[in-house]
Amino acid sequence: MTDDTTAMTDGGTDDEARTDGGPPATVPPDDETPTWSERKERSQGLAQLTYQYFERSRREDEDLRTESTYVERDVLGFPTWPHETIRNLAITSFFLGVILLVASILPSHFGDPANPGSTPAIILPDWYLYWSFGLLKLSPINPELAVLGGNIVVSNELYGLIAHGAIFGVITLVPFLNKGNARRPVEEPGWAALGVTGVILAITLAVLAIQNFFPVPLELLFSLVFMLPVAGGVITYAVLKTMREGYMYDLNRRYYMLRPPK
Amino acid sequence: MSLKKQDDMDHNAWLKSQDLTAIETAFLTTLIWLDKRLRIVDYLELLETMYYRANLQMPKSHTEQYDLDNKFWYWYPLYSLGSLSIIAYLLAAVSGALLGFYYAPSTAGAAAQGDPTAAYDSMVMIMKDVQFGFMLRSIHRWAAQFMVAAVFLHMLRVYFTGAYKEPREVNWILGVVLIALTLLFGFSGYVLPWKQLSFWAAQIGVELALATPIVGEWAAQLLFGGFTLGQATLVRMYILHVFVLPFVVTALIAIHVGIVWVQGIAEPH
Repeated sequence: MTDDTTAMTDGGTDDEARTDGGPPATVPPDDETPTWSERKERSQGLAQLTYQYFERSRREDEDLRTESTYVERDVLGFPTWPHETIRNLAITSFFLGVILLVASILPSHFGDPANPGSTPAIILPDWYLYWSFGLLKLSPINPELAVLGGNIVVSNELYGLIAHGAIFGVITLVPFLNKGNARRPVEEPGWAALGVTGVILAITLAVLAIQNFFPVPLELLFSLVFMLPVAGGVITYAVLKTMREGYMYDLNRRYYMLRPPK
Repeated sequence: MSLKKQDDMDHNAWLKSQDLTAIETAFLTTLIWLDKRLRIVDYLELLETMYYRANLQMPKSHTEQYDLDNKFWYWYPLYSLGSLSIIAYLLAAVSGALLGFYYAPSTAGAAAQGDPTAAYDSMVMIMKDVQFGFMLRSIHRWAAQFMVAAVFLHMLRVYFTGAYKEPREVNWILGVVLIALTLLFGFSGYVLPWKQLSFWAAQIGVELALATPIVGEWAAQLLFGGFTLGQATLVRMYILHVFVLPFVVTALIAIHVGIVWVQGIAEPH
């Protein structure tokens, strides 16, 4: 084909007889690989925006570093080995020991085999799903619309599912609703009260799920399921608000002693 | 050009010139043999670096750093709840793998409604015949209970200390997903023995799935293998419990902990 015939592995030069796939493909020399800045200039659209943002962010870091008055100091502390490792091993062994101890003294119950033909009087999931099971028993407050002749709009099951979605949605949104540097419940009594309300609601919903075990009229129980969390929240709010005055004073004093205002 | 193999660095000659004990010679010969083939010297260097990194000093604890007079030491156990849930998860994984040797996810063998199925019988076998089997099941069950409890309390701790705030929103959402998956883990495990309670808990699951608009029937097919419970349900719950969820949850836990590592622990200040 061409005059620069390459020798074959057996020394022959007859291209017609070539079966070894020919000479190796040319490897591009190193200087053909685009450099970082060349790639940045060549890129378009989203890639270019990414490069631009990274450059800005790197410059921001650099500026912050040069402006900073932070001095790195040696921090006294415990070494990972042996101190921290031994401590963590001790904690781990303690937890494992507790689990094994409980497993050996409280063996688990085992019931009758499944029978699709007979619904048991009590259907229950494990304790950690009681709250979820309680949400499925909210049919008394499933709204009935007069325009539909007193019919419910959504089925009771769907109503329970929507309640699940609402709860998970609110929990997911918490970091986007509650901003700021506050870390302690006293600093934000409202959010702490909301948290206590949620915890008590989970417990009361669990009680609603196992209502058969409580000799309380269902209507009273149903009221308590929603009244107790609200009451708990109000009490938490009142207590924290009262504590807050003295507590914040002390906290601020410590804070400004450590980091005096410029 | 000579076809004879050139050895630029004659390691064996060097080995011979040294005055070494038998142990040293054996060690070096093995090392050289492996290094010629696998280039492990690079990895040994990495290991050495990791050794020095691991021996760095831990920073002062929060109370030491801010001189809080040990006022908050009694909160510290609450900061090990995430760790406890991982420990319980690992214990459940080990005991679950052992239980998997004996458990049979099958509804076969019931002559009439309400007769024990193969799944139920295998559970009875584990509890009555298998050496240490009763304890094994108890450990698996209690490890799961501890894990769920620890995960819930861990979430409460993070909520009440405001540890979810910027820049840790992503990890909070990941945590919510992990809680949901943990509950699904527990639910699928609850169904496996195919007892009365398992069956009717699954029945409620199917009814809930079917009550969902648009995706309901599809979800029921996917999770429960149909609209009525049977062999397909059990196998799907089994695969979910021993194959899908372990991979997904382990990966998410790794990311969850990795993000904590990168961002640092939120100061309870």
